[in-house]
Amino acid sequence: MNDKSTTHFGYKEVDSDAKASLVAGVFHSVAARYDLMNDLMSGGVHRIWKRFTIELSGVRPGQSVLDIAGGTGDLAARFAGIVGAEGRVVLADINESMLSVGRDKLIDQGYQGNLEYVQADAQYLPFPDNSFDCVSIAFGLRNITDKDLALRSMLRVLKPGGRLLILEFSKPTNALLGKAYDSYSFRVLPVMGKLVAGDSDSYQYLAESIRMHPDQETLQEMMEDAGFTNCEYHNLTGGVVALHRGIKA
Amino acid sequence: MTAATDPTLRTAALAALEAAINRALALDPAALQALGRLSGYVFAIDCTAPALQVYLQPGTNGLRLMGHYDGPVTTRVTGVASDFTQLASARDPAAALINGQLILEGDSGPLIELQKILAGLELDWEAPLVDSLGDVVGHQLAQLLRTAFTTGGNLSRSLARQLDEFIHEEARLSPPRLEVEDFYRDVQALEQRVERLQSRVNRLRRRLQQATG
Repeated sequence: MNDKSTTHFGYKEVDSDAKASLVAGVFHSVAARYDLMNDLMSGGVHRIWKRFTIELSGVRPGQSVLDIAGGTGDLAARFAGIVGAEGRVVLADINESMLSVGRDKLIDQGYQGNLEYVQADAQYLPFPDNSFDCVSIAFGLRNITDKDLALRSMLRVLKPGGRLLILEFSKPTNALLGKAYDSYSFRVLPVMGKLVAGDSDSYQYLAESIRMHPDQETLQEMMEDAGFTNCEYHNLTGGVVALHRGIKA
Repeated sequence: MTAATDPTLRTAALAALEAAINRALALDPAALQALGRLSGYVFAIDCTAPALQVYLQPGTNGLRLMGHYDGPVTTRVTGVASDFTQLASARDPAAALINGQLILEGDSGPLIELQKILAGLELDWEAPLVDSLGDVVGHQLAQLLRTAFTTGGNLSRSLARQLDEFIHEEARLSPPRLEVEDFYRDVQALEQRVERLQSRVNRLRRRLQQATG
């Protein structure tokens, strides 16, 4: 009998140790065309979801922000503009390809001075306790092997009163929308991935991983179990995406 | 706790409006400089009917619009939509604020400054589509709208011409303008000839009466 713990990689059951490298493979493959694919896949609406995340972050000039799984830096760029020269934004990603694309993009756009780039695993964040006023993770939590461990790690690095914001695909509130969304993500997404990024398997994984991700209520409970208070969530675009927010007491 | 309404559309609309304002500001350095002097202020527009809250945060790079803001607010204005419309188009915003139905909390000076800056801008409403929806979709949508409006204009002009021809030439529901004018000229000429004939008859009648009398 196999006594090793297992986890999901899309619909497949894999060894927990193997998931990180499998996910890394997916993002190495799509990094170069990640922004374009996001625009195509969401119809550009991911920008609106991220904008709403920034609004609810309540981040102000001079504060410090950690953007986990920051990818190509959409959130980090907005945060850097808000916190100003006195503030600090750390863009963290476990994947060096994504981090490198993000860093190049932000430097090209003129963001520097208050931005740092760190290759880090969200389960074991390499920062002292009580370091950040806000921690955000957009479309990254579902790729993490042990989500509970990651949530506890985020709680640890937040200052008391600091906020965690999780933007992630979730469960559509309307059954009809759910069905349309299912056929879109399983029929259209992989084809689109093949055409634009030259990789249909990675986008098949993205569609599967979205289905395996905990729904709104479950994720809220997970946040509460990890120790966050005042947890709440907002459904966006009919629950296709949800923004969860929790405070460190 | 969950939010009752989906904030996606409201956020999209604010993003589009913000982009439009900032694009106009980018072309007006004096206005941008004036806006920079309002840095640090946050204005709340609290519309009760329809229920909508918008927060405006000026900065040296432009104006930020938000649907949520948890920090302290410099000035809060509460009222219904029509009151805000009056204020926005007022020649004398100070008088409109004092005499109108709006409820003002906080410092009115910076708000009046902001209103003057925004009122002086020429807003470009087309560009925000690309900024808020991304290059791919935004461009396609803009292209679509442009095509729709251009074709729409041509279509209505062409339709009007064809309808005009149908009424006058095919169905003959109404005569063409030239034909009507020609007809009026004929009527006028006929009227003059009738008048002349009438006066000639009258003259002949008088002569006949004199000859017999």
